[in-house]
Amino acid sequence: MTEYDYAATTEEIRQTARKWLKEGTVRMVIGYTGGTGPMARPIVIFKPEEADQLVWDPTCIDNLSRVLVAEIKVKPPRGQKPDTRPIGVVLKACDTKSVVELIKENIVQRERVKIIGIRSPGSVDPAKLDVALRQVPVKERKNVQVTMKGGQFILDHPGGSVTVPEADLIATKCQVCVTHNPVISEVVVGTDIPEPVQADKFADLEELEAMPPEKRWAFWQDHMARCVRCYACKSACSLCYCEECVFEREKPYRWIEKSVNLKENAFYHLVRAMHLAGRCVDCGECERSCPVAIPLRHLNRYLQKRSKERFKVFPGMNVEAAAMFGSYDVDDPQGEIW
Amino acid sequence: MADKADFEPKIVGFLCNWCSYTGADLAGTSRLQYPPNIRIIKVMCSGRVNPQFVLKAFQEGADGVLVSGCHPGDCHYHSGNYHARRKLTLLRDLLDFVGVNPDRFQISWVSASEGLKWADVVTRFTEQVRELGPQEQLSGGEA
Repeated sequence: MTEYDYAATTEEIRQTARKWLKEGTVRMVIGYTGGTGPMARPIVIFKPEEADQLVWDPTCIDNLSRVLVAEIKVKPPRGQKPDTRPIGVVLKACDTKSVVELIKENIVQRERVKIIGIRSPGSVDPAKLDVALRQVPVKERKNVQVTMKGGQFILDHPGGSVTVPEADLIATKCQVCVTHNPVISEVVVGTDIPEPVQADKFADLEELEAMPPEKRWAFWQDHMARCVRCYACKSACSLCYCEECVFEREKPYRWIEKSVNLKENAFYHLVRAMHLAGRCVDCGECERSCPVAIPLRHLNRYLQKRSKERFKVFPGMNVEAAAMFGSYDVDDPQGEIW
Repeated sequence: MADKADFEPKIVGFLCNWCSYTGADLAGTSRLQYPPNIRIIKVMCSGRVNPQFVLKAFQEGADGVLVSGCHPGDCHYHSGNYHARRKLTLLRDLLDFVGVNPDRFQISWVSASEGLKWADVVTRFTEQVRELGPQEQLSGGEA
């Protein structure tokens, strides 16, 4: 396997973005740029000369399809005609699955988006990076450059470099990833990556599933009671795009009270999980954005697992596939129904 | 805490207008006896039952929730109950995963002519929920 080349990939992204913006075939390009710390941040560029700001490294963890949805929702000022040119967007392989779901749900039209798909070997978990950064002198922490080489992450800084084993830094969602190559895209960039032979076995859920129900409830009760209901998880989700969210509407019926307690929180988390059933592509943004570290991916992944087992549905892989709750099979299992 | 024998479960039933509600009506006109613990909410189709309704019922203190509709293939709207089946069986899985006993939530198919089956389903389900005791997990009571 050839070594993944971040610099060359960054160059490819910049060239493509520059070309599209020069031609005027896109009205903007959504991509990653260097943040104030080691983590990359999203950026929207409008001019070809801005393309040099785009970067690609293992700290690019944001799912930019969220920004894409936000840009698509923007209405033109009164009296102005909308710019119907497509939006260019830089997406990691896993994030193209979000766009597949958005296209299926007709939120994004295929011809209104141009995708630079990146073959992605895995991103770093910001929380784990915070721990790893303790090995770097405090003054240099802002200037750390993260790269991956030979199955290890390397934190380069002006005063030297630190090597961290992959498992200590990689995001947990990347450890179970089976989509290293973009599902849909106009241009694919990045070094070739072979897909893992084994499909996702949902091994991370086994521990919870093996617990007796009381312990499982204790686990979730603890997490849900800690939730402050900041709704960061639903703001970060690219598939939570409803104009009027059920948790915010007051009329004709208020579904959820504003008070933060286990009763309301449990309702919130269960309904949120059901809303994402058959759609969630496990981009991990909900869990990453959670300020109190609730393992939200477990809920989403469990429903992903069950929908795969029960209905043979696996979201994000095919634009033509039917939506899980929008379709049915006469022979769906119904063991527990009286 | 109330004695188990004194415990009368509160059960919410979502019944489709065309089969199960009519089936329950038949049970009534046929003078069949079944436990009065169920509070029936009529919906036009079992496919109308949003998983949110079920969770809200639990949150508001229901000890059990029963959703009943037409038998597969018999839906008045052609496929509503097939859609319901997908949503609600998955909800049952989710309840199980967070540690809420999925036996508190039951789906059943009762046709308009099955007054007897309706009486049987309600009796069985009421006893099942009575065994489980009060539902305090999702309604914010002390677990």
